[in-house]
Amino acid sequence: MKIGVLLKQVPATDTQVRIADPSTGIATGDVKWTINPYDEFAVEEGLRLKEAGKATEVVLLTVGGKDVEQRIRDALAMGADRALRLEDPGFEGSDCLGLARILAAAIKAEGISLVLAGKQAIDGDNAQVPAMVAELLGWGHVGSVSKLEVDGAGFKAWRTSGGGSLDVVQGGFPAVLTADKGLNEPRYASLKGIMMAKKKAIDVKGAAALGLDASTVGAGAALVVDSAWTLPPQRPAGRILQGDNAARVKELVSLLRSEAKVI
Amino acid sequence: MSDPFDLCNPTPEHLMLRELVADFTAREVEPQAEAQDRKQELNLPLFRTLGELGLLGITVPEEWGGAGMDATAAVIVHHELSKSDPGFCLAYLAHAMLFVNNFFHCSTDEQRRRYLEPVLSGEQVGCMGMTEPGHGTDVLGMTTTARRAGDRYILNGTKTYITNGPEAQLALVYAKLDGRVTAFVVDRSCPGFSSSQPIHKMGMRASTMSELIFEECEVPVANLLGEEGSGMVHMMRNLELERLTLAAMSLGIADRCLEIMVRHAKERVAFGQPINRFGQIQRYIGDSYAMTEATRALVYKVALAVGPEQNNRLGSDAAKLFAAPVGKQVADHCMQVMGGAGYCTEFPVERLLRDAKLLEIGGGTLESHQKNITKDLTRHFA
Ligand SMILES: Cc1cc2nc3c(=O)[nH]c(=O)nc-3n(C[C@H](O)[C@H](O)[C@H](O)COP(=O)(O)OP(=O)(O)OC[C@H]3O[C@@H](n4cnc5c(N)ncnc54)[C@H](O)[C@@H]3O)c2cc1C
Repeated sequence: MKIGVLLKQVPATDTQVRIADPSTGIATGDVKWTINPYDEFAVEEGLRLKEAGKATEVVLLTVGGKDVEQRIRDALAMGADRALRLEDPGFEGSDCLGLARILAAAIKAEGISLVLAGKQAIDGDNAQVPAMVAELLGWGHVGSVSKLEVDGAGFKAWRTSGGGSLDVVQGGFPAVLTADKGLNEPRYASLKGIMMAKKKAIDVKGAAALGLDASTVGAGAALVVDSAWTLPPQRPAGRILQGDNAARVKELVSLLRSEAKVI
Repeated sequence: MSDPFDLCNPTPEHLMLRELVADFTAREVEPQAEAQDRKQELNLPLFRTLGELGLLGITVPEEWGGAGMDATAAVIVHHELSKSDPGFCLAYLAHAMLFVNNFFHCSTDEQRRRYLEPVLSGEQVGCMGMTEPGHGTDVLGMTTTARRAGDRYILNGTKTYITNGPEAQLALVYAKLDGRVTAFVVDRSCPGFSSSQPIHKMGMRASTMSELIFEECEVPVANLLGEEGSGMVHMMRNLELERLTLAAMSLGIADRCLEIMVRHAKERVAFGQPINRFGQIQRYIGDSYAMTEATRALVYKVALAVGPEQNNRLGSDAAKLFAAPVGKQVADHCMQVMGGAGYCTEFPVERLLRDAKLLEIGGGTLESHQKNITKDLTRHFA
């Protein structure tokens, strides 16, 4: 079984995000990039399945330019076998559905039967691409998996559902599963892994090589367009209620009802 | 378009190595540093993790199970580890630089097959014995002797201040054979070999140190490293990497203390304003930054020209001579900026200041670097 892991680079959580231009997006000049943390769980799970003899190869897939190669190298250094970087001028401006179409085409061309991805990317927080990939391929999909068992016939996936209860979902391959925190503890890339990553292949493929109809992806096909970028509003200062406890509790309850509208 | 040259990370692999060690240091080294300093013990499980990460054989070629990396890579590891725990880093240095790197370059294939694997994994700890109670800077005056007796060499003498001495299963030891310095690899199981109780010290307490004692110690002839009388060549060659990586430790200390100092000066308010508004505090910060950057440039510049096929005693002596006082000075400035808090063990600065002092002594005193530099320059301009 060949495993494909979807990889995205995102700004590190300790990066101070600034808006470069309200119409184009964040300033990327001094951003420190990392692998999306949820994707790291997916890479780790893929490696563990391969080490347990349940998969033959772990292939990384990412849509992006040369600037994402360092993140690909990071995941190759963890132990992934090789990578596909999907780049084409026609891919630029793709929305989630466009990205999913590109990835789905590559997954089909590669003969992958299990796709692992992060449950969401911590930059856009869309949590859409993997589910769309599954839909486009007509495969089953389980999101936010925090425990996974795989045997010859299929998989058993645990996911947290509302109210803290756990769903256990059984299914067969091919399938798309997305990783939540708790699925595993991602390993450090060893020094040997770093040296080996240098020799691993990163193939670059565009629309033609994927047999993709270019009019279905890119800015032209996007259904969702970012119209403007702003930073979240400053949080207003808190308010400290005065008076004795009885009066304060009464005022608090009334404020929660009338102003905050949470009760 | 090619990227501008990054002196500190000349290749993408160097950058990945730095990220690996920085991440490991923040997550696993920093949280244990204070406790190990207090206990005065080497954290052996953490040391073995260095083996799992492949860091113990960083300069050993890949065909021998190492990472096959260069002096810059070794500098990166020491630089990053020392931001949190110079004491632990010193144990790493004594093992990976003083034992493993040195052993690799003077051993035969047979000796490598016998000894390399357990020291690359961290299952066994290595150390290097050069200094003696009567001879430190004057190392060639050493009095430990070796004599040949059939299929063994018999060693007699005492080495002191040996980092990792209490834990080490293997020691690379220099002794005089017919008056000529000769290197041996000595195994714990060699009859007549022992180590003393740990010697306690002011800083670098996350690594241990002891004497190595040889009393009619029997070492198989197969454990001779290189040729009889070739020990000085090995010693001098390895001292370059040792001094360079010690300099990198001072840089790590300076980087960390600078960060602590700047944050504290912004947050601490006195006389109604943050203390970073005061000119005297700005002088500590400005001077510390300039010194640290000069150290970074020098250490990484010299690293480009240190290697098994190169001679760069001038560079490595200069790097350590410059870096060691900077590490100590920036730690001291940091403590001054922090006031009483800096002096208290709740914060890492007092530990880093104690650790920083060692780098003016170990691996060669400041005076020995001045002596070597004068000698080499005089020859150069002769
Ligand atoms: C924490 C620690 C760890 C160590 N680890 C190891 C180890 O793993 N292996 C090992 O072999 N050694 C180790 N050492 C020993 C270290 O290398 C020596 O301490 C160092 O070389 C200085 O030697 P010394 O202590 O005998 O001082 P001395 O040589 O006695 O020096 C005393 C003073 O005299 C000065 N001096 C000496 N000769 C001259 C001269 N010609 N001109 C001007 N000034 C001079 C020195 O600079 C110094 O100021 C360690 C030491 C310490 C403190």
